[in-house]
Order: sequence, then structure tokens, then C-alpha cells
Amino acid sequence: MQLMLLFIIPFIASLVLFILFFASARQLKILSFIFSLAPLFILLSRHGHWVGSNIVYPWLPVLSINFHLAVDSLSLIFLYLTAIVTPISILAVRSQGLILPHLLFGFILLLQGLLIGFFTAHDLAIFVLFFEAMLLPLYFIINLWGGPQRQSASLEFLIYMIAGSALMIAAVLFLYFASASNGMGTFNMDALAKISSSTPFTLLLGAIFALAFAVKTPLFPFHAWLPNAYYQAPVAGTILLSALLSKAGIYGFLRIGVGLFPELLQAWSPLLLGLAIAGVFYGGLAAWAENDFKKLLAYSSFSHVNFILVGVFIWNQTAHTGAILQSLNHGLTITALFLVAGWLEERIGTTKIQHVSGLAHFLPRLCWITLFFVLANVALPGTNNFIGELLILFGLFGQHPWLTGFLGLTVILSVMYMLHWMQKVYFEKPTFFQNAWVDLKAKEILIALPLIALILWIGIYPTPVLKEIQKTPTEKIALKN
Amino acid sequence: MDVMLNLTDFASMSPLLILLGGALLLLLIESFNLQAAKKFSSTIATIVILLAMGGAYYAPPSHNTLLTPWLKFDALSQFFTFFFLFIGLAAALLAASFFQHFDATRGEYYFLLLSALFGLILIGAAADFLTLFLGIETLALSLYALCCYMKSWEISREASLKYFLMGSMAAAFLLYGIALIYGATGTTQFKDLLKTYAALSTPQTKALFIGGIALVTLGLAFEAAIVPFHLWAPDVYYGASNPVTAFMAVGTKVGAFAAFVRVFFEALPNFNILWNEGIALLIYPTLIYANIVALRQIQLRRFFAYSGISQAGFLLMPFVSGTPDALSALLFYLVVYSLATFGCFAILTFFDQNEEGVLMHHLNGLFQRSPLLAGIFSLCLLTLAGIPPTAGFFAKFFVFKVAFQAGYYGLVIVGLLTTILSAYYYLRIIALMLAKNPGEEKPIMTWPAALVGAFSFIGVLLLSFYPNFLFELIKLG
Repeated sequence: MQLMLLFIIPFIASLVLFILFFASARQLKILSFIFSLAPLFILLSRHGHWVGSNIVYPWLPVLSINFHLAVDSLSLIFLYLTAIVTPISILAVRSQGLILPHLLFGFILLLQGLLIGFFTAHDLAIFVLFFEAMLLPLYFIINLWGGPQRQSASLEFLIYMIAGSALMIAAVLFLYFASASNGMGTFNMDALAKISSSTPFTLLLGAIFALAFAVKTPLFPFHAWLPNAYYQAPVAGTILLSALLSKAGIYGFLRIGVGLFPELLQAWSPLLLGLAIAGVFYGGLAAWAENDFKKLLAYSSFSHVNFILVGVFIWNQTAHTGAILQSLNHGLTITALFLVAGWLEERIGTTKIQHVSGLAHFLPRLCWITLFFVLANVALPGTNNFIGELLILFGLFGQHPWLTGFLGLTVILSVMYMLHWMQKVYFEKPTFFQNAWVDLKAKEILIALPLIALILWIGIYPTPVLKEIQKTPTEKIALKN
Repeated sequence: MDVMLNLTDFASMSPLLILLGGALLLLLIESFNLQAAKKFSSTIATIVILLAMGGAYYAPPSHNTLLTPWLKFDALSQFFTFFFLFIGLAAALLAASFFQHFDATRGEYYFLLLSALFGLILIGAAADFLTLFLGIETLALSLYALCCYMKSWEISREASLKYFLMGSMAAAFLLYGIALIYGATGTTQFKDLLKTYAALSTPQTKALFIGGIALVTLGLAFEAAIVPFHLWAPDVYYGASNPVTAFMAVGTKVGAFAAFVRVFFEALPNFNILWNEGIALLIYPTLIYANIVALRQIQLRRFFAYSGISQAGFLLMPFVSGTPDALSALLFYLVVYSLATFGCFAILTFFDQNEEGVLMHHLNGLFQRSPLLAGIFSLCLLTLAGIPPTAGFFAKFFVFKVAFQAGYYGLVIVGLLTTILSAYYYLRIIALMLAKNPGEEKPIMTWPAALVGAFSFIGVLLLSFYPNFLFELIKLG
């Protein structure tokens, strides 16, 4: 069964990496890169036949937990994102002077496996298991390979996450016993969807799940962990956090929110929408005020993720399509941005904006590639984000036309802070040249190329992706309306 | 009516007899040849425990009416016997490592350990309040002596005295409770208890019975270290030496819950909702108090005392619920807790160099010095914290499920919220080990403790990936 293969390979790979403590960092990097590509190849090899494939295996009969993985088109988008981003995050690791390389690569692959499990879990207990378990590898990645304040940042990150989702177990158990009183006694999501709105505490259950996903994504104002964690994590960790972990929260909203609590999501739409829009603005303004480009990107990511949530919280098919597409887009763009920011940091030795300027003169290739990704991030027409954000704005317009105008302003805000960074670092009067300023090598350009290609492809010809996305949410929303 | 014991009856009691014989043998060697005792007693004790395991495996159940009123020979008692023998084996190995760091006489130590095991097995197989009391007292008396085994340690003497004073009070309560129950029902046998309780007609006898049960619960809650009967635990854990603390943290805890199982699952299942409500009222303060105080600990034995108290809160949940799954949930939790705790103590043994024991800052940067030790310790701590995908998560999940099923939502919610606190203090230790500034303390590796660590590590890992294995085992046909 290919789904099982897809799920199990990263785990085996991480185990192999954990054992190979004697190999050099370079060898391990190559090996783990090859391993991490495997899911992408498996996905591509059966492209078009994935939807509907599932495996059920009675795992813990005593607790009536089934190991149930299933792929639908929503899962598929996130699976592709995971399969693309993980190899790039591995390539973003610098192997010179790396301590304990076998553990770092092992953790990254472990995270990949857990994410694949999470995005396909169809049994609520397994879903929660993966949701919580993916924190551990990230905790270790931040703690062992992060910046000077990595200790406090990683602990804060983990405690926030655990606090956010602590009550989820109670909610899951409640749903289980609610189903048991209907004679089913199951964690199967399809079965639970039928009864979730008729239990006496639907409101409370929905709130518990919403809190967990809101902390993970994070939705404004549950982001207090974010600046520190993003800033202190190593480049690979930041990529994984921003591109994949935040998507776990969004996927949770789409899977559990739309799937199990559709009425609630509609009823709470004004509140959640308000928070998400506040988050877009807050993130944008905070990024603008920042003079450290890694933090700037962290807030920019926060702002854009809240933009996606705007799309999730509007009960509208176009907006949901936009949100799902934008999840993929944001994952690609933010990976690219943190990647080039990492390269820049490697060369200038700082993440502060004011120390150097005019780098375009010395590092032309890095400059133009960065500029391309920056433009993609501000949703220039022809790039992927343009399509996604346009769909979300379009969906919003149908319900709150004046809010759309308001949200449209944030696009200008993002242009302001992103170009502020470009302007300062790359285009102003050049400072004195330093020997470490070596322009991108062919190898690094090769890493960036697939991202550029994907961004342009989705930007110019999004139809195949959109077609894929429009399969699931459509019928669900049509059903509930 | 049988009038005498025959060979098969002795065979079915063989674990107890082997332990008794082994213990006496150790005492003899100690009295006649100190040198030999120093050299061989740990090996002899280990062999005796292994033999007892073999005995437990082959022991046929006895139907002799001279034995069955006192001892049970069911699957549960066999499970407990094995469980206790494994605990004893781990404690013996930890002690062997301990004695490589510290000089002290050994024969008595293992004699006391084997006696404690004898008591534990009696508790697990008790079919009568008197056997139960005998078991608890045999365990407690051995532990009073074990606690101050390091005679030169000031803190040990203090701990032992405290334990003895409070423990004897608890024993008095327990015995008084048994007397009241006997007064109300006219029997101390477990199998008649529910029948006679149901037949009680006057309010006076009922009050007598309930009063007796309350006192018995108090006595057992003391052994299990449940708030507000926990006061002895932190001081005693802190004062005792490392292997004794490990044995108390696991052995006494499991023993106390085995007693709970015998009395409240076997003899009096769901006899009165009042009792369940009362136990629920004990769980709230246990979870809240222990988790908050554990945040401030810096000495690891003391830390594990509070961690153990909070775990006892979770372990009580199945008793509150009393559903058919409750026993399995309890046993699963006990096994996971024991494995993880022994794993932690095995690592602590390597750092144990004086009576102060291991302080948090000794572990600073352990990951740099020894990734393997730090890895094992981390896994065990994560298991205790119940963070997925470790086996601890399944244990907590099962316990919560059982509590939820019986409608104790408040317990589940308080339990989940306190896991945030516990996650913080367990993870703080992991964070400390991952810190970059390496501490000076070099771990002194000794193979017996390493064996315990490896066994715990493999056990936890196995249960994390394949918990079903243990679920099948504790179904107890």
C-alpha cells in the first residue's frame, strides 16, 4: 500500500539517521536529503490516484483507536507542501561546524513523518497524537541548534503549545462517548461529524479545538511564542515552523472546524474574522517597525498566515479555495524568504538591517533572487500569492465589501516593509566590501530554482492546482448551506 | 476440607518461599562471613529473585482450603508477583551500583530488600484483610530500616524516624479500620465482604462499616502518598539513599495500589458511590498541590517524590470511575510509571556521589557529555509527562477515558490542566541537560544500573510504538 509507504519511510529514515552518529555532516546531509525526497516521488508517482486511498488498521482495540489514514484533496495539498518544503529545509542546513548532525537530520525527517501522519489522519485520536507529537522534534531543533536564547524560546514554545491543546484530549473523549451513546463508540471523523453538532456542549468543544489551532497557527492574539521561537530557531527550524507548523493549525481549522463544527465556524465568523484581520495588521505594523530582517520575516509570516485565516473564516467557497491555495503559496514563499535570509545572514554575519547596505553591488545574484521572492511575498501579479490573496479578497467582498477595502490596505503595508528591507540592505549607498561577501554559487541557485519555478507556475497557470483544491470543500459547503 | 499442605501447595507458594529462604541465607552469610557477604550478597539476591520469577512462572494455582482463605492464586496475583519481582530485581541492581560508590555492609541490605518484596507479594495476593495487613507491615518494617541504611547520613536518620512515626500511625489507622469492618460484618475475608455489606440492616452497623472503610482508605492513601497524607514522602525520599528511594517510588506506590485493587476492585466493587466521590475529592488537591510544589524542587529525589505524588493522583482516577476498563487502565499506568521512574533513577545512580544526592545543576549540559544517558533520561521524563508519542500519553489517555466514562469531567479537566504544569517541570530538566555549558560532574558508569536503564529505555520505547502488547498482557484471562 503506497499510503503506508508514504507514511513509514520518513520514520525509517529518521531511525537510520539517529543510528549513523559516526558519519560526517556532509554525508548525512546528502543521505537525509535523498530520504526526504522519497515522499515527493511517491506522491508524484501516483498523482491523480491518491484521493480516496486509505488504510485502516486496528491499533489499540482496548481504546477503540484505529490507525486510520486517508487522503482527500485537502490532505493532498498539504502533503505536497510537506514533501517539497522538508528537502529544502535540509538543504538550508550548513554542514560546516554543525554539532550532532545525525540528530538534526533525524529530527527533521521525524517531523516530516509526523506531518504526513497528521495531514492524513482520519481517526480523531491519531489526529491529536500527531498534532502533539510534532512539537517534540521542533522543540529539540530549536533547543539544540538555535540562537543565544534558544533555551527559553524553545521551552516557551513548547509550553504554549501544550497549554493550547491540553484540553483537546477531553474534547476528543467527549466526542467519543457522545458517539458511544449513539451506539458507535468510535474516533472516526466521518462518524463524529454526524453527531458533533448535536451534543450538549458543542460550543465548548468547538472552543477547545479552536484554541488549539489558534495557538498553533498562530491567530492573533495567541502569537506570543512566535517572535522568539522563529528568531531563535536555526534557519531550517524557522522554515519548518513557518512553512509547515503554521499549516498544521490551518489544516486543523479546515479539517475539524469545517468538518466537525461547521455551524460554529459560521456563527463565530465575525469574531474570528476580526481577530484574523487584526492579526494581519498587527503583523504588518510590527514587521514595519522591525530593524532585524529575521524578525521582520517572522512578523510578515504571521501577518500572511492571518490573511489565510481570513479566508478560512469566511463561509464561502471562493474564500476557502483561496485559503487552501494560499496555504501552499505561503509555505513556498516563506521557505524561500527564510532561505535567502539565511544565506544573507551567513554572509554578513548579522540579521540587523542597519549595519550594511548596497549589497546589490557585491552580491547581485542573491539580491535579484531575494527581490523575486520579496515581490512574490507582496503578491505581485504573476506570482502565486497574487492568485491566492485575490481569491480571499474576492470571497470577502461578497460578504463584507468595506472590510475588503480595509484588508486590501495591508497589501500596501507588506510592500512597505518588504521593500524597506530590500532598500536598506541591497540598494542604498554601498558600505565597504568584506571578504565574506561571496555571491551565490551554482549549488545555492539550484536550490532556489524549484521554488522560483513553482511560484511562477502557480502564479501564471494556477488552474491544475485550483481544480485539485475545489474538489472537497465545495461539496461540504454546498451541503451545509 | 483439607487438613494438610501437600507438595503442589508449596509449589504454588514457591515465590514467597524462595524469597524467604534467600533472605535467611543472606542473613546467615552476613553473620558468619562478612567478607563473603560483601562480595556475593548482591549476586545471591539477584539469583534469588530470578529463581522466584521462575517459581512464579511455573507455580500451579492451589485449591487447598488451608491457603485459599488467605491467599489468592488468580491471574491478577500472578501478574502482581511478576511485577513486584521485576521491581525487586531493578532495585537490587541499582543497589549493586550504589555500593560501588559507597561503602557499607551489604548482607542486611539485601535481606531487607527481599523481605520488602515478600511483603509486596503478600499484598498482591491477599485474600483477607489480615494477609493484606501482614504484607503492608512486612514491607513497611523493612523500609523503615532501609531508609536509614546509610547510618552515617544525618538526613537518613531523620527520614527514617519520620517515616517510622508517621508510618506506625498509618498502620494503626489501617488496623483500626479493619477492626471496625470486622465489628460490622463479622468477617475479614474479602470474598464475603460485599455480601455481608449488602446484608447490613441497621444504620449503626452501616456507619461502623463506612467508618472502617474510611480508615482503611486513609491507611492505604498514606502508603500511596496521596495529599493530604503525603507529608512523609518528600522528606523520606530525600533522606533515603538512591536505590531505596527508587524502590519506594515504585515498589511502595505499586504495592499501595495493589492493595487498593484487592480491597476496592475485588472485594468491594462500586459498593457505595460515596466512596468514589470521596476519592475524587482526594484527587483534586493531590494533582494541584503536588504539581505546583514540584515546580520549585532542585534536589532530584525530592523532585521525584512530588512527581510521584502527582502521578498517584492519576492512578486514583480508575478507582473513582470503577468501570470495567478501570483495572486495565490502572495496571497499564502502573507499568509505564514504573519503567519510566526506574529509568530515571538508573541515570541518577551514575551521578550519586554524596548524601546530598543529585541536584538539578549536576545535570547541566549532560547532553554534551553523554548523549545516550541524556537521551534515556529525556525519554523517561517525557513518558512521565505523558507527552505523545511516548507510552505515558497512552497511559494518561486510558485513565482519562475511564474517568470520563464514569462522568467525572472535572477530574479529567483538572488532570489535563495540571499536565501543563508537569510538562513544564519535566521539560525544564531536559532543557537543563541540553544546555551548552557542561557541568563538571562526570557520570560514573556501572553496569548493573546501566542494565536497569537499558531495560527501562527499551521497555518504554517498545510500549510507545506498540502499546497493544501490554494491553493484551493485562487483560488477565
